[in-house]
Amino acid sequence: MSDLTTTRPSTPTRREFLWNSGGGLGGIALASMLGADPLEVSAKSGALGGVLHHPPKAKRVIQLFMSGAASHLDLWDHKPWLVEHHGEPSDFGEKVELFQNGAGPWTKSYFQFRPYGESGKHLSDAVKPLGEVVDDIAFIHNLVGKTGVHSQATYLQATGFQRPGFPGMGSWISYALGSINDNLPTFVVLPDHRGYASNGPKNWGSAFLPASSQGTTIFPQRENPIENLIARAKYVTKAADQNGLQLLNRINKGYADKRPGDSRLDARIESYELAARMQLSAPEVLDITQEPACIKKMYGLENEGATYGPDINVPEEAEYFGRKCLIARRLLEKGVRFVQIWSGNDNGFPRRNWDSHEDIKRDHGPLAEGMAIGTAALIKDLKQRDMLKDTLILWTTEFGRMPSSQGSKGRDHNPFVFTNWLCGGGIRGGVTAGESDQWGFKPLDRDNPTQVYDIHATMLHLLGIDHTRLTVRNNGIDRRLTDVHGHVIEDILA
Amino acid sequence: MNAIRIQIKASLVLAVCLAASAVSVAQDQSFEQEVVPILQQHCFSCHNSDDHKGDFALQTKSELLESGYVEPGDADGSHLLTVLRPADGKPPAMPKDSPPLTKSEIETLEKWITEGAHWPDGFVIPEPAITSTDWWSWNPIVRQEIPQLENPYSARFPLENAVDAFILSKLIEKGLEPSAPADRRVLIRRVYYDLLGLPPTPEQIEAFVESSDPMAYEHLIDDLLASPAYGERWARHWLDIVKYADTAGYDKDKLRPNAWPYRDYVIKSFNQDKPYARFVREQLAGDQLFPGTEDGILGLGFVAAGPWDFIGHVEVPETKIDGRIARYIDRDEMVTNAMNTFVSTTVQCARCHNHKFDAVTQQHYYNLQSVFAAVDKAERSYGVDPKVAARRQELESKIKESTTQLAAIQKKIEEEAGPAYTEALTKANELAAFAVLAHRDDAYGFHSAMQNATSVAQWAQVDLGESKAISEIRLHPCSDDFGGIGNGFGFPVRFKLEVSDDPEFKTATLVADQTADDYPNLGIAYYAAAKDVTGRYIRLTATKLYDRNGSPMFAMSELQALSAEGTNLALNKVVSSSTSIEAPARWARKNLTDGKWPTPKDVAKTQQWAESMVAAAQLVVNANTPERRKQTQSLTARKAAMEKELAGLPTGRMVFAAATEFKVQGSFKPTMGKPRTIKVLHRGDILQERQETQPGTIPLLEEDGVFSLDDGHTEGDRRVAFAEWVVRKDQPLTWRSIVNRIWQYHFGQGIVSTPNDLGRMGQLPTHPELLDWLALEFRDQGQSFKHLHRLILLSSTYRQSSAHHEENSQIDSSNQFLWRMNRRKLSAEEIRDSVLQVSGRLSNQMGGPGYYLFKLEHPQHSPHYEYHLHDPNDVMSHRRSVYRFIVRSQPDPFMTILDCADSSKSTPQRVETLTSIQALALLNNKFNLAMAEHFATDLMTLELPEQQRIEVAFARLAGRQPNQEESAQLAAYAREHGLANLCRVLYNLHEFVFVE
Repeated sequence: MSDLTTTRPSTPTRREFLWNSGGGLGGIALASMLGADPLEVSAKSGALGGVLHHPPKAKRVIQLFMSGAASHLDLWDHKPWLVEHHGEPSDFGEKVELFQNGAGPWTKSYFQFRPYGESGKHLSDAVKPLGEVVDDIAFIHNLVGKTGVHSQATYLQATGFQRPGFPGMGSWISYALGSINDNLPTFVVLPDHRGYASNGPKNWGSAFLPASSQGTTIFPQRENPIENLIARAKYVTKAADQNGLQLLNRINKGYADKRPGDSRLDARIESYELAARMQLSAPEVLDITQEPACIKKMYGLENEGATYGPDINVPEEAEYFGRKCLIARRLLEKGVRFVQIWSGNDNGFPRRNWDSHEDIKRDHGPLAEGMAIGTAALIKDLKQRDMLKDTLILWTTEFGRMPSSQGSKGRDHNPFVFTNWLCGGGIRGGVTAGESDQWGFKPLDRDNPTQVYDIHATMLHLLGIDHTRLTVRNNGIDRRLTDVHGHVIEDILA
Repeated sequence: MNAIRIQIKASLVLAVCLAASAVSVAQDQSFEQEVVPILQQHCFSCHNSDDHKGDFALQTKSELLESGYVEPGDADGSHLLTVLRPADGKPPAMPKDSPPLTKSEIETLEKWITEGAHWPDGFVIPEPAITSTDWWSWNPIVRQEIPQLENPYSARFPLENAVDAFILSKLIEKGLEPSAPADRRVLIRRVYYDLLGLPPTPEQIEAFVESSDPMAYEHLIDDLLASPAYGERWARHWLDIVKYADTAGYDKDKLRPNAWPYRDYVIKSFNQDKPYARFVREQLAGDQLFPGTEDGILGLGFVAAGPWDFIGHVEVPETKIDGRIARYIDRDEMVTNAMNTFVSTTVQCARCHNHKFDAVTQQHYYNLQSVFAAVDKAERSYGVDPKVAARRQELESKIKESTTQLAAIQKKIEEEAGPAYTEALTKANELAAFAVLAHRDDAYGFHSAMQNATSVAQWAQVDLGESKAISEIRLHPCSDDFGGIGNGFGFPVRFKLEVSDDPEFKTATLVADQTADDYPNLGIAYYAAAKDVTGRYIRLTATKLYDRNGSPMFAMSELQALSAEGTNLALNKVVSSSTSIEAPARWARKNLTDGKWPTPKDVAKTQQWAESMVAAAQLVVNANTPERRKQTQSLTARKAAMEKELAGLPTGRMVFAAATEFKVQGSFKPTMGKPRTIKVLHRGDILQERQETQPGTIPLLEEDGVFSLDDGHTEGDRRVAFAEWVVRKDQPLTWRSIVNRIWQYHFGQGIVSTPNDLGRMGQLPTHPELLDWLALEFRDQGQSFKHLHRLILLSSTYRQSSAHHEENSQIDSSNQFLWRMNRRKLSAEEIRDSVLQVSGRLSNQMGGPGYYLFKLEHPQHSPHYEYHLHDPNDVMSHRRSVYRFIVRSQPDPFMTILDCADSSKSTPQRVETLTSIQALALLNNKFNLAMAEHFATDLMTLELPEQQRIEVAFARLAGRQPNQEESAQLAAYAREHGLANLCRVLYNLHEFVFVE
């Protein structure tokens, strides 16, 4: 265990030096947490097998986060009962308190459901492209949240706590496992290009973990996709840059040589060398121009560069989401540990997120199809590169939406039940674990719902980590990603 | 921690003992001392009377027996042991999610069951709680003798004051040697950054180095402590702890435009060297304890400094579960902030269960919540002139008086309106059930802009395209459920309808005139004016606006102009208006003629209801005698004049702080000083309320921590009681906590290295005697931070060199006993402020609203903070970093990379990291790139040879002249690539980024 508030001695030990200097270091920290001699463990992940709690099934993660709360009933969770009772006044058999008081009549899915694959899993037409890979996916339809307030719910799904001040899941995993490739960030975030979701970068912040474990945001469409990667000033020429670094290193080395016993000084010199390498590798990963046309088409990028009308539409959504998925694949190939892709911004006008109070068909339609094209491509592409077997994919959102209508076309928040799905490394495909009730209002077995802690525990488990043993003390409390909860969901393990 | 014994209420034991035989007394004892702790530790949290997980509980005897889990006398036949024992090589089924019972624990249970599973009658297993308050930090502060010792190192480490005596005696005890003092060049840079957060200029360094004054160091410290930049540096430490930011955080992350007066208050308090107890009192209950002072209000910014959930408060009412959760979490934030900051105690652990390590129960925690039960985070005014305040009070009471008089007249009129009036009202009541909303479209209607007063006339008009014969005009009101506004939202109180062929309405035909008296708000019943008239334009003018929570405006869902045949001539015709809020789909001008309006359950009956309401209103108008009219008029006029004067009075300035009275914002309403009822929440669940609470604190000084307050106490009394408990002289945590923090900021590590936690999960002090000595010195010598700084800065301990020493480091590699000074990395603010200063750009303007380091977009709805669009050459942003506008959810990426504090959580100590991302930021961030050019320009103004310019540049950052070799290399580089490139490189020097 490490108490981050206490580990700042002035003569850093080798362990701290490695830890503080960034990439590839969490492994050392983990090794020491587990009581192994940190010096015997290389910073590279290849040696991590020996110090994980158990052999891992996955080593990389992609998290797909739908901001605004995607409707389980209109994407994944087929409810024939609602088809039969469509339009009848809704009656939940109990008093239900809704966010905007929108409890209209029972309302069937706004899209048609059809069976796919050998498993015969029903998916809605809005996510039809995922039908091709449905047998790789494990669905959980009985997730429950704690609140119908976006911000708190986003925090809960992203960090395991309802409040600000806790590290994102990607930060925990980066902290525990470290980097696979020092030339790239360990944890990359691809936000929605239109803006951040609720809580913004706090969803992937490192909070009380070392800053090196925070998510690095990449905005592929910006002039500067990665902040500070290159000097954007006319006077900084390539030669000035290179000679400047040499000059800096010489003077800094001179300073360090006169001050033995402080490994931070060498670590800082090394960090500049690492930075120079990152400057070379990062632009290459983001450059998708060399991808073959068939791959681009698969990810929905055949219209690349097209201009789109003001109304939300499928080709535009497909292009933006598909690009993030393709970049995610390239990042994973080059050794990034954790990629988080966001769909949907905050609540602005016009609506460009999943919070469809007004019109499910209008907003969920294009968002879902765009998401499904990119996601299906990603799964197929990882599979053909033999990477799906050790890449864990999680699809998640804030909460679900009600089986009753709001207005005549929308649905209000449903924190009482919603859907997550997982795919890839260590996951048994084509299964459904945990059902919602006939309406999709609450879990079928109300006493045994699935919670975000269980999802996180399962993911850590597949990465070789026992979620109860990955702890960091902060302000007198041993903090875990799973707080004091969490069970591994055995039913979805391969 | 093993020393903590879980104790059971003695009274219960006693009661049972009185009626028991000697044998059963022994059994009782063995049950309570051996069995109960096992059940408490391993089973209780799930299987108590409340939770009954798996339909099993063992909090009472009957629960245990009814479950069938235990067969008294037969251990192997008891299911309880089956689930607790490992079987077939598999771990035991229970307890879930925690380590299995030890062998000896299982044996204890076996023995207990075999011997009959004795359970004293009436015994209920209490929830585990730590009752022992015997912990070093809770024990009284003891006056420590200053160690008297032979000093073998007096040449290099003279004992300047008590600090050195305590430190040296520990060094000698540990076999360590102190280091020689740092030279003056190092010392001045160290103390400048430490006290001001800024580097000394090369001239200041040289003057100090060459000074022949033996008291030069003492004078330097006095000068720096007197500099206003001292407060700017040290306030930042405090703001880190209290989570200060200029936005709310959470969803939308809305701006908090008036948070900064608290930030300035903290800066000023440090500069004034305000006694600590006063500083604490102001921040918890300044409004009560120091009425009429600015600082008494400004200090309350402390309570409101942390995050706040806009949606959970403004859009969700307190009557809903989510609304209650939001307010509960917010109160938790206040309690946590107060207890972590002032007494370094992690009470927040006791929100869901009793604290597992410290003597804090859920009861104590919720008692603390009730201290803050009436306050919210909101804007309140401060700094009002007492004369103005007196006049305000006078006007307010006179206005109230005239309101009462007007109401009395109105009542009289209603009485005289007679039975017809009562009849009309009765009829209206019968029909009211039909006048409720049945359908509403997404397009709500037309909405004027908000106005400053209800008397600012607003109009909307429809252009029929050509002059047409109109026989009736109908107005359909709006309905909106936002914040409980309801039907009839925005319907004007007084208005008129005109028709004209002139779009300017210079001449017009009056169709309806409701401008003389207030027209009743009739929900969603439509208003109809029938009159045959011809014209191209129809204008609706609101002469008295609808008052939407103090924001006057008017709204209308639809305007219909019906022809004699009943055709709506206005359908989809162009609408213009004096002002409009265009927020489609809900609000837009075009919605006024889109053919959509909210409809009631029964249109005909709703109109009848409206007629009855109008009739009743008309009867009232009729009953109004000319005399009364006159009286009403004069009263109304007088009242309006007073209201105008009141509105014109300077309100003082606003600060975001703890408040019980503030402007309503949607569902966010003030308590007006009435504390919310706080109950203990089982498992922290808002739906599981348990016993009552009383304002109180942790059981330190008083046995139960409850404050003695009269029954009639005010909410302010609660905060006063809490503040007085915090600053009690015999309350040890406060004084230990604060001196430990100050020590930590000087040395980089505290005497206790967990500054927010002096409890059992925190670290132990490395120098407990020194900590207590400092605590008493500080407490009893005026509680002056500057006095404490002087003590520390003048010590030999502080003045030591930071050089490495192999033998010492073998014994104490992390330097916890301070055998040398710690080399430290500059903080984010120090780096940014230094870059500004050395580049000749730093503005020394103090105080005021924070400057933006981003471009602000969409501030009305959910603000976007676009850092990548900010121009680093903006001179407004060349002020010290403490004056930045701090965005909570989207913090400045450059500062974040440099390990700046995260305002979402308390940061009692900055984390220091070295990453490649940080290297890239210092090399390539647009701020540094722009500053390098300014730096070069500034250097060119020096009338010096090129070589010397370069040496000045180096010295500004490194605090020394470059040596010959360095100088040559720097010059060669500058010749080839220019000065700006050189400056860019210099910002990355080790020698700049580290302080010795």
